[in-house]
Amino acid sequence: MEEFIASTLRSSVPLALAGVGALFAVRAGIFHLGIEGLMLASAFTAVGVAHSTESIILAVLAALVVSAVLSTIYWFLLDHLHADAIIVGLGLTTLSVGGTAFFLDVIFGQRGRLDSPVGLPRPIRGADDGAASLVSELSILGWLTPLLVLASFMLLRRTAFGLRITAVGTYSYGARAAGIRESRVRLAAMLCTSVGSALAGVELALGGLSTFSEGITGGRGFIALAAALFGQLHPLATAAAAVFFGAANAIGVVTQVNSIDFVPRPFILMIPFIITIAAVTVSAIVRTQAQQRRMERLDAHEP
Amino acid sequence: MNQHLARLITRLAPVVIAFALAFVLFAATGFSAGSVASGIVEGVFTGRGATTNTIRWSIPLILIGLGIAVSLRAGEFNIGAQGQFLVGSLAAIWVALKWDLPKPWLIFFAIVLAVVAGALWSAIAGVLKVYLGADEVITTLMLNFVAIQLVQWVATGPLRDPFSSGDAASTERLDPSMRVQGSGEYSLELILLTIAVIVAAWSLLERSRLGIAVQLIGANPKAAAWQGLSIRGTQLHTYLIAGGLAGLTGATEVFGPAGRVVTGSTPALGFTALVVATVGSLAVVGTVAAGLFFGGLQAAILYLPIVSDLPPSGLRIIEGLVALLITAQLATALRRRRSTQSPLPDKALNGNQPIEEGIQHVLSRRSRDETG
Repeated sequence: MEEFIASTLRSSVPLALAGVGALFAVRAGIFHLGIEGLMLASAFTAVGVAHSTESIILAVLAALVVSAVLSTIYWFLLDHLHADAIIVGLGLTTLSVGGTAFFLDVIFGQRGRLDSPVGLPRPIRGADDGAASLVSELSILGWLTPLLVLASFMLLRRTAFGLRITAVGTYSYGARAAGIRESRVRLAAMLCTSVGSALAGVELALGGLSTFSEGITGGRGFIALAAALFGQLHPLATAAAAVFFGAANAIGVVTQVNSIDFVPRPFILMIPFIITIAAVTVSAIVRTQAQQRRMERLDAHEP
Repeated sequence: MNQHLARLITRLAPVVIAFALAFVLFAATGFSAGSVASGIVEGVFTGRGATTNTIRWSIPLILIGLGIAVSLRAGEFNIGAQGQFLVGSLAAIWVALKWDLPKPWLIFFAIVLAVVAGALWSAIAGVLKVYLGADEVITTLMLNFVAIQLVQWVATGPLRDPFSSGDAASTERLDPSMRVQGSGEYSLELILLTIAVIVAAWSLLERSRLGIAVQLIGANPKAAAWQGLSIRGTQLHTYLIAGGLAGLTGATEVFGPAGRVVTGSTPALGFTALVVATVGSLAVVGTVAAGLFFGGLQAAILYLPIVSDLPPSGLRIIEGLVALLITAQLATALRRRRSTQSPLPDKALNGNQPIEEGIQHVLSRRSRDETG
């Protein structure tokens, strides 16, 4: 059980970071399917820089920069060239899959994986018993995640900046009439997403084994987007959804570690994806019902 | 005709730019752009078996692409073709290896089962979307991952090839006498089947009641509902058609060039087919033309590592760049349905309701629009 809780916490950190990042873009009206690609590119950049410089700070900074540059390209294609958000997002993901493998080969002469000599520090590493053992594997990013979630909450709900993002995505005409420069706000929202995705990628690569392997994200970027939708685009609810999906992932980890094999392994690896489908469906039902109630209420007020 | 030529050029411009960017990258990282370029020309036109390979890859791209075009026309972003294709090929290989029937019947049942399996896999997302409002982009994507694990299970468990080696697990190979096509040839049967599907798709989209309904619903679901069209029924049909065609492709691959089902190493046909349908402006003729173009590209892409020392991942870069740029011009057709800033003043927004409710509105706008 302790193993399961510890594994859930560890699995949910990248999902929470990327999920809370994702909700900025979705709030601004962009259905962001490039998160998987941003995470992958950041994870690779972080390990590549850490491998070359042995500096964890430079690694994190480089990951943030790469993620921001890719996000700016995404934004430019959407806002200035009127491209389709979904196809560009999937294209960005494919580009990252190819690009990371390509540069892994060309720069480092490696196929498949690259190890980093340094990893993210773990504040209370080595605690063996009691409650501390549950979190001893958590990296510094894991400890910072609740703070970042709270900060996102404050940013979205208590600042003009956050309200502008929501306004742009909710009612574009109204936002424009109010004098908001939509394009800039969308860029800002996507940069917020890029920060979340970059940190998620760094955590995946350097939070545990300190290694990058091809396809290390394994669909987590898409699950993070689903977590944002499941959390109704609310930062705290999104973080809760991330923990829920993290638990689904932990089932796979724990069964593998304990070599429980009464069910073939592929079926266990399916669990997070099936749970995601169920969660998206449940949140759609809830939303439709809330919508209907609201419409009824509005109808009742009309003369 | 000139008009068509102009359209063709605007469609292909992003592809050319994507290639140029990729070449710059390859040249900058020390690969000879010349040898890469000549490799592509050889792979598409002049090399040994080039035309055969072009046709070989065009067939699945056209078949899957036509299904995706039907979906996108109705405004349904069904991006689960890869999963539907995999499930279809599993059904086909299972029938081919485990059923004991004379060859024609075996092929017949394998095709029927593959089509049904693909259609049902797609219908999972369809039912969740049409009746419950679950976002089809997420569900179809997730179903792809589930299908990949299913293939993993089948290829390492029930139908495992005991003699396979290397990283990728594989099912047993089909007996050569069962296949309609070896790996270095093309078969008349598959080409005729593809032509039949193209004709069927054309008459469906351009000359049938369902085609008109699809078109109307994609353009304006509310107006279509007022016309008395069954929105949900039509949308569900597009899921069945897209999934059925992807499943059929699974069968053609198993009985044709692939001869087995392998984990991992298959090129992402479903994703390329999405690009094919988009480049083809969701029209039948356009999709076929784009399918031939990307079929050639796929042939060249698989030929490249043979003639130059470019790692295979470089080819994924080309694919990604093409997808990144391809919609930069033709946005209108797609964005009409997916637009996130569609200026729909809604009565839910006219009152002084809190921002949070506005968000709910953004999330549910699409599903509400589409179901009327």
